[in-house]
Amino acid sequence: MNKTATDFKGLLRGLLEARVDFIVVGGVACNVHGSARATFDVDVVYARTADNIDRLVNALAPIQPYLRGAPPGLPFSFDAKTIRAGLNFTLMTSLGDMDLLGEITGGGTYEQLLPATVEVDLFGFPCRCVTLEKLIHLKRSSGRTKDLEVLAELEAIAEERRR
Amino acid sequence: MPDAPTLPRDPVIEAYKKDVDRTLIREMLKLTPEERILKLQDFVAFAVELQKAGRQLRK
Repeated sequence: MNKTATDFKGLLRGLLEARVDFIVVGGVACNVHGSARATFDVDVVYARTADNIDRLVNALAPIQPYLRGAPPGLPFSFDAKTIRAGLNFTLMTSLGDMDLLGEITGGGTYEQLLPATVEVDLFGFPCRCVTLEKLIHLKRSSGRTKDLEVLAELEAIAEERRR
Repeated sequence: MPDAPTLPRDPVIEAYKKDVDRTLIREMLKLTPEERILKLQDFVAFAVELQKAGRQLRK
């Protein structure tokens, strides 16, 4: 698969149209809240119910998800059985990179994260996105040095909103 | 979107905060969430084009 610019709209719209239950987290969530930093993939926490996994697989199968960074030709099949057997998947697709997360550090599962989300209008659909406060909490929980600049920007966004 | 409540200050993050360009944030906050994502998409497309041009130069 050739490396192309991530089609954020295509990736998110595909999930929204298929009525997949998911929450936008990570760099795109930062962007939704006003971050000016670039990200190159879409991170979502998805609900691990059987119906939702079926919808997720149907939505993404046409864009050929494959394990990111893995050598070509592995016996990887993007189907409900694979999703049920795993939890978090770092994928590349024909529309760009996407991380499917069944659980995240500091945030837990879809159901646990749901109270800390806001609904935003994206491409004609309501879309669940983690709140700015929770995003800051998640970034603090990660304890990664590379997140310090991101955290500083997110906290500055919170301050700007209060102005 | 609702305002984020104040969190306890972390001195390390405070030190990084002085380097944040707030003019960029203020411009982003004027946009809708969808417009922010489309702006990101434009930027990423531009970055990928730059990467391609860089690779061609090295050939």
